[in-house]
Amino acid sequence: MKLHTAWRGALSFLLHGLALCATLASPTASAQTAYEAALPEGINNAPTLCDMVACTEVLPGATIFSERKGQPRYVEGFAEHDGQRKLTGYVMLSTDITDTPAYSGKPVVTLIGMNTEGRFTGVKILKHSEPILLLGIPESALVRFNDQYLGKFVGDNIEIGRSRPEEDIIGLDAISGATVTVIAQNQVMMTSGAAVARQVGILEPTIREQARFVDRQRPLDWAKMVREGAVQRLTVTPEQVGLARSPEPFIDLWYGYLNHPEIGRAVLGADGWQALMTRLKEGEHAIFVIRTGGIESFKGSGFVRGGLYDRVQIRQGQDAFTFRDLDYLNLYGVRAAGAPAFDESAIFIVRSPAFSGAFPWKFIFLGNRVDRATGARSFANFDTEYWLPDHYLEGGRPIVKKPDAPWVRIWKTRALEIGLFSALLVAVAVVYAQRDRLTRRATHKNKWPVNVFKYSAWIISIGFVGFGLLAQPSITQVLTWFHSLLFQWQWALFLTDPFIFLFWIFIIVTVFLWGRGLFCGWLCPFGSLSELLYKLARAVGLKRFQFVLPMAWHNRLKWVKYFVFFGLLAVSMFSMGLAEKLAEVEPFKTTFLVGLFNRSWPYTLFAASLLGLSIFTERPFCKYLCPLGAALAMPSTFRWFGLKRKQACDSCAACARGCGSNAIDADGRIDHRECMLCLDCMVLYTDMHACPPLSQERKRRTKAGLPLTPIGADGYFIPIKPVPARTAKV
Amino acid sequence: MNEAKMNPVDEMPDPSRRKFLNTAAVAGIAGAGLSVGLSACNKDAPAPTAGAAAQPVAAASHAANAHLKPGELDTYYGLWSGGHTGDFRVLGLPSGRELHRVPCFVPDALVGWGHTNESKAIMGTKPDGSLRYTVADTHHTHASYKDGNYDGRYAWINDKINSRIARIRLDYFICDKITELPNVQGFHGIFPDKRDPVDPAINYTTRVFCGAEFHIPLPNDGRDLDAPEKYRTLFSCVDAESMEVRWQVLIDGNCDLAATSYDGKLAATNQYNTEGGYHYEGMMSAERDACLFFNIARIEQAVKDGKFTTFGTSKVPVVDGTKTANADPKTALVAYVSVPKNPHGVNASPDGKYFICAGKLSPTGTVIELSKVLEWFDGKLDDVDKAIVAEVELGLGPLHTAFDGRGNAYTTLFLDSQIVKWNVEAAIKFHAGDKGAQYVVDRLDVHYQPGHINASQSETMFADGKWLCVGCKFSKDRFLPVGPLHAETEQLVDISGEKMVLVADHPVRPEPHDFIIFKRELLSPKQVYDINEFPLAVKDPKEAGVFRDGNKVTVKITSLAPAFEPREFRLKVGDEVTIILTNLDKIEDLTHGFAIPKYNVNFIVNPQETKSITFKADKPGVFWCYCTHFCHALHLEMRSRMIVEA
Repeated sequence: MKLHTAWRGALSFLLHGLALCATLASPTASAQTAYEAALPEGINNAPTLCDMVACTEVLPGATIFSERKGQPRYVEGFAEHDGQRKLTGYVMLSTDITDTPAYSGKPVVTLIGMNTEGRFTGVKILKHSEPILLLGIPESALVRFNDQYLGKFVGDNIEIGRSRPEEDIIGLDAISGATVTVIAQNQVMMTSGAAVARQVGILEPTIREQARFVDRQRPLDWAKMVREGAVQRLTVTPEQVGLARSPEPFIDLWYGYLNHPEIGRAVLGADGWQALMTRLKEGEHAIFVIRTGGIESFKGSGFVRGGLYDRVQIRQGQDAFTFRDLDYLNLYGVRAAGAPAFDESAIFIVRSPAFSGAFPWKFIFLGNRVDRATGARSFANFDTEYWLPDHYLEGGRPIVKKPDAPWVRIWKTRALEIGLFSALLVAVAVVYAQRDRLTRRATHKNKWPVNVFKYSAWIISIGFVGFGLLAQPSITQVLTWFHSLLFQWQWALFLTDPFIFLFWIFIIVTVFLWGRGLFCGWLCPFGSLSELLYKLARAVGLKRFQFVLPMAWHNRLKWVKYFVFFGLLAVSMFSMGLAEKLAEVEPFKTTFLVGLFNRSWPYTLFAASLLGLSIFTERPFCKYLCPLGAALAMPSTFRWFGLKRKQACDSCAACARGCGSNAIDADGRIDHRECMLCLDCMVLYTDMHACPPLSQERKRRTKAGLPLTPIGADGYFIPIKPVPARTAKV
Repeated sequence: MNEAKMNPVDEMPDPSRRKFLNTAAVAGIAGAGLSVGLSACNKDAPAPTAGAAAQPVAAASHAANAHLKPGELDTYYGLWSGGHTGDFRVLGLPSGRELHRVPCFVPDALVGWGHTNESKAIMGTKPDGSLRYTVADTHHTHASYKDGNYDGRYAWINDKINSRIARIRLDYFICDKITELPNVQGFHGIFPDKRDPVDPAINYTTRVFCGAEFHIPLPNDGRDLDAPEKYRTLFSCVDAESMEVRWQVLIDGNCDLAATSYDGKLAATNQYNTEGGYHYEGMMSAERDACLFFNIARIEQAVKDGKFTTFGTSKVPVVDGTKTANADPKTALVAYVSVPKNPHGVNASPDGKYFICAGKLSPTGTVIELSKVLEWFDGKLDDVDKAIVAEVELGLGPLHTAFDGRGNAYTTLFLDSQIVKWNVEAAIKFHAGDKGAQYVVDRLDVHYQPGHINASQSETMFADGKWLCVGCKFSKDRFLPVGPLHAETEQLVDISGEKMVLVADHPVRPEPHDFIIFKRELLSPKQVYDINEFPLAVKDPKEAGVFRDGNKVTVKITSLAPAFEPREFRLKVGDEVTIILTNLDKIEDLTHGFAIPKYNVNFIVNPQETKSITFKADKPGVFWCYCTHFCHALHLEMRSRMIVEA
């Protein structure tokens, strides 16, 4: 109980302290920020979207707005001249069209305006949950980013990065440090714009070559169709739509493509299929759907009023196909033997030559996710892919060039840097693996054989990794992953930042191999900067001002970082946003991502103080504050390979005195949670002039005229064992 | 940490994943966060497995259950005659739910049939523009064939009172043509042919045969009023497409019901008044009446060869089918097969081999083998009565026969209030002398006094032996009493087994006669009209308005829920007004009505449909034209003001 109270007290202290800091840091924007802004009630469903949000801001000139229409939904904006209405463009709410998550795992709710020519006229962020935009990067950066879309055509290839006219790609300037956010935002903009542009005819639908079917007159039963992929299933569970978990699915659908003669006959019977095909015109396609389980209807009642089935959709590439009431026919039963029982069914007709049975398509159930706590509904799509099996098509499946996922594009465009970065990581690991050879070459007086590598790593990590690639790992990533693990893990999200992604693979592997020191001591950009300052200060003669905290204080203060880490973790349970704010205890964002001089003074002061302090004492932030270090220190307990110790170490304190990390205790034990793997003690370990026990032995041997044998792995001269003379007893 | 607090606004929708926190997630915090993957929500559908396909198709198990669950669809269409309501009805079976009534011969207040100009043009008008007839008595409806099955194009229905035949389009379920047969009265039996007798390429219906019951003077222009022996009846053939009468056959005796063969060569009608009696005693005096077989190819050749006459003002060629003129089988157009005493009903078996006449006043069923009739026409059979392969006792008052496709016939016994199920081949054996042949399979009491009977697909080569419906003329105690006029009982019988099982009673408003039942897959009705099928269509609200030519005024109106365009229009007393209304709504089922108070106007326009109506503006004032067919939340507000200036 007491402990609980104490914990709460401490937590509240931390919260208050950092919240104060945060308040100081953002003296201006807090009034208009869209961070976790409350959206008008019913914004996701109300027909009159523009009564709730300022549509005129994104579609200047329009004064009258229609109700939401279409699928996906949009609003028409009209200008009125002399009593005549003139269509000026369209307004769309991004979450009506796509639920692409940004860095936070949640969508950036954006209101987008587009004129009748398909050019963007306005972009307004209604709500976002991006921590980076809360602190550090001002929201205005995102506004400026969005302004780049104004006047651009929705049908252009717009990407983050530089323009490549030879590839027809228009580049947009990213926001440093918020790449994931802007990549997600670009996807939202282009997807939303295109979805509406295609509906209203600004963008032509893709014309796909029609399928030529292989008809071997095979009688297909249901199980065979399932096995071959001629029918597909789409199951939505209650928990996916925010309902209580239940063994009963929310909806369980099977569907298939009826134009293929074998499938069509299997489902409808030969006569039924023939009758259906005579009803279809050239370029029309029939799809059957049955509901075999679940509590939800895929028809709903929207088609009664509006004539549009608003719960199901077909998507092929960028083209979405919806069904009107006139595109519906009764499915009178599934003939195929072994077909499951069903209680709702349909034949839907796709009336567009843009659709082709030869290419993959998706059957989409358009749902709503209900937040149980607030009752808020948000848009959620569920789909599975359908592609006629290879042997159902004459000539097999056509080759489909799918556009790369955004993360793939990033990996491709930054291949060189990714290669260099990977080489750096591998090189450091290889060098470290060879540490024994280096430390034996080095001596207490001349540590260059080790340091040349370490210092190189530092310089590269500060310049290239930190300032160049902005690849400074951070505790926020740990928190984000942690939440992703709990709620929604999306590889794509993490893969959009290849350097951080690779860095973390390196970190996880090396922490369990050697402990956190290899990352913290050799590659962490901030850590490297911090220690480099210390070393430089020493080199330029500031050594006399440099100090090491007494062990007693060190041993107390080193726990602070764990406290910080668990504090952040605890806060993140309540509010990711607050935890992200509090993660400003890391000066990384200020130092690398945004820049020391681009932030408001409290941040600059904080980061500068830490760096300033580093001049006088080695790595103060790493030792006492860094929550990331703390998070990595704990698993370091279980590292596979530790540093070596010899028997005499328990009484000799030479290494401990020289340990910049204060990681060696009075008994000579190395605390691998604190150790930065600087290898100073390992240099000493084999230095017969510097290691006191070795030095003693060297002197004894020299005196005794014994040879100085090489130093073994145990840190001692390889003992000379007298070989018994053969003739001794003759 | 309670759950609600852990769940910020529209984040973390998934409580189950939240629970994951308590168990495995601590491993993630320790830096191993990349090792566990949960898939994104749209990838959660498990890979389809064959094992997931479990129970058999629900639809396949309906056969035994006539009672459908909400939302469940019937498996058969039933097309019903309405009797002297004069309409055509559509039922769903096995539920027995009435889905539609198609007005054809008589006016209908709902759709405006008999009020709109278009329907009047179909129904026929007198010179003053008023309807020629407003009553009708529909008895038999049959649909068009292709390859021995229904092809879903048309159904035809007769009007016995005014000798009219109406065609129903089965894509829109509307009457599109009505033809009045010349020189006949009591047009009763009707049956489409199933293919052409000569041209094998015509494997579908091109003719509809019509039999007339009542003997009348020819022409019936006032002559021979008191010479009943000169009264005659004709058998008519109507072109299925043009609905023109192709030809008629003058016969001895009368026509009752009709049937056609699957090879297209023969049409038949049973006769109950070979005597030419004009009182019932006279009509039932002979012990045997007849079933007439018409050789279609020969009749048409005769017409082609000019061997016909005409009666009165009618131009329709009439060939001579009387006994005396057809004594030589090799040239005969008609064969007269004798059938016991006042038979009723002639039905073709689905195997294409037999026609069966029920005895009515004789307790027998007569089985006539068609191949033998053809032999007679070829001169290979000396006596056409040798085509009778069975004449067996069935029960009292046999009327009509249906088939199950398994060799059994089901005949209604009017007086016994029963259905008898009997095996045709066994009856033939019995008739041939095998007295041990048990041809009666089962008997079932029905309620009461059954007339027509039909089974699912019974009148096609694809009789499936699932359901049998019987139209009982008396219901007596079967339903809640509603005064002296009783509903009739259409009873549904499961005939899928050896024994017939009565499964449902359905009351119907008097008084349907015949009906057909066929699989739902055979029809492909259209959901909305094609606006281009209407020459008068007002295709855009901008075209709406008042167009005046002297005192002839055309008001073009469009409807688009929830408004008419124009919202008001001005007329002057004395104007001859034609209102043209197009329903521009495209949404299925979004039908509008249009009523004008005090002007006795009401009709509906279905999506994309156009109708017009003409009347005289004879009352000044304001008249709210309003939508009578519920259409929209603003249905009550959907009006237009007709302002008639004095």
